[in-house]
Amino acid sequence: MTAGRLASRTSLYAFALLVCVVTAFPVLWMVATSLKTPSEALQSPPVWIPGSPTLEAYGQVGDVIDVGRSFLNSALIATITTAGILVTSLLAGYVFAKYRFRGRNALFALLIATMFLPPIVTLIPLFRIVGQLGIDGSLAGVIVPNLANAFGIFLMRQFIAGVPDELIEAARLDGASELRIVFSIVAPVVLPALAALALFAFVYHWNSYLWPLTVLQGNEDHAPIVLSLARLLTYTGSAQNTPIVMAGATLAVLPPLLLFVVLQRFFVNTMARTGLSG
Amino acid sequence: MRVARQPLWTAAFLAPSVALIGVFVLVPIGLTLWLSLHEWSTATPFGEASWVGLDNFKALFEGAIVGRDFRQSWRNTFVYAGLSIALILPLSVVLGIIIQRSTIRGRTVLRTVLFATYTIPMIAVAIVWSKLYSPSEGPINEALGWFGIAPQPWLSDTSTALVSLVFLNVWQQLGYFTVLVVAGLTQISPSVFEAAALDGARTLKLHAYVTIPLLRRTLLFCVVIALINAIQVFEPVVAITQGGPVGSTNVLTYHIRQVGIERSQGGLASAMAVMLLLSLMVVVTLVFALARRAEDR
Repeated sequence: MTAGRLASRTSLYAFALLVCVVTAFPVLWMVATSLKTPSEALQSPPVWIPGSPTLEAYGQVGDVIDVGRSFLNSALIATITTAGILVTSLLAGYVFAKYRFRGRNALFALLIATMFLPPIVTLIPLFRIVGQLGIDGSLAGVIVPNLANAFGIFLMRQFIAGVPDELIEAARLDGASELRIVFSIVAPVVLPALAALALFAFVYHWNSYLWPLTVLQGNEDHAPIVLSLARLLTYTGSAQNTPIVMAGATLAVLPPLLLFVVLQRFFVNTMARTGLSG
Repeated sequence: MRVARQPLWTAAFLAPSVALIGVFVLVPIGLTLWLSLHEWSTATPFGEASWVGLDNFKALFEGAIVGRDFRQSWRNTFVYAGLSIALILPLSVVLGIIIQRSTIRGRTVLRTVLFATYTIPMIAVAIVWSKLYSPSEGPINEALGWFGIAPQPWLSDTSTALVSLVFLNVWQQLGYFTVLVVAGLTQISPSVFEAAALDGARTLKLHAYVTIPLLRRTLLFCVVIALINAIQVFEPVVAITQGGPVGSTNVLTYHIRQVGIERSQGGLASAMAVMLLLSLMVVVTLVFALARRAEDR
């Protein structure tokens, strides 16, 4: 190895390490701060590593927000929305991949175009529509408008197109109904894609903020953890309460982050196949 | 295909998606366009809206406070988007190339760490960064001090607040775009790199003249997605800056929601949403046109 090559490899490692440190730092700081005592949190220059780590702040989160309830709300919102997206996307994806009908391409294009729409463009009439339906201020109001989306349909069509027609044809000859074909023949074949869609949808709707904030109109009983977290911040403004806020943030971050760390292969492979997410 | 026509099943299978997307996305788009020409309070049924023609749009272009605030939030949004893209694009290309093409150890760790930030809720990112930016107890100013750099006001000054939000955005999104670049690189046949290397192309030149031109489509896609993501910036503004100081972080998603939901001026806010949509379409068209011109050259 020449001196120049060694130098360039060293700088490559240094750059990669720097990026890792800068990227991981805010998360590590969040966890470290959640373990600090109030007086440590006040110190300037800041304390980098808590001297006597304490879980006290985690207990105090519950004094300000209903942690259990918020987690339950987030879990309900993310799980039901994801289940809905899986079913609607599977059915529509199957139609667009395997059926012929007039206007198919136009309808597909119309649906897909909505994928690129910033949510704020439709927020105001949507808020009113959900109000007219009488489901504003409730979990149903958060969930129902998101039960189908263009990304899911697009993803499913891409993957179902790869399912051999012979497989579907054989099932038809055996007398299987179309519904049965979708759920017992097609779905198992595209299971990895369904799993990836489930992951993306779950994380997206666990994290989603703008719509729940708007539709719930301050109804705390139905607030997901992301909204409760913002409330935690306003109620614990002063610097000595920072550990409480960080403890809340750590709790809120855990489910999507753990899900990613355990199942990251699904995320990355799907993005490689479709170049998309959201 | 043999039994491809299934009119009943087609209708049945499409109904849930078409009904949901129709009622909750397509109809609202139409309503936004329609409401932008009306004066309408968000607290009342759509039937209460009264026709005002282009008055809402005129207000956005005129000198009064309504127009001034809107134009400021429009400018802030596109400055934020532009800066975000200017940082994300080169960084994600460099990191993507390191992860996909280099032979250094720990590349998978780098990818994992980078992408993990994308799964963190934006509200948590905003809260953590607001503490990192804290002028007195914040670690960022402390770390800058080690290199003799004076403490920065970050979120508390009009000249630095928007840029501070850009950094936060870049931090959260970089991993996602790096993975997109990696996906784009895997589409390039390895023989291209071998042939170029045989020709004696040095690493930097190789990437500048071979890799990046071949990544064109991926990069174009990245720009469009980064733009659309940037326009959605909301949580750091609503939870941390409330658009301030002095409107310097007032961005469109926040501003339109303030006007349309909090102040119930549904017609005016719809006109702002229409302007946002138009601007977005113009910018995306320009980006595609520029990309095509670069391709022709």
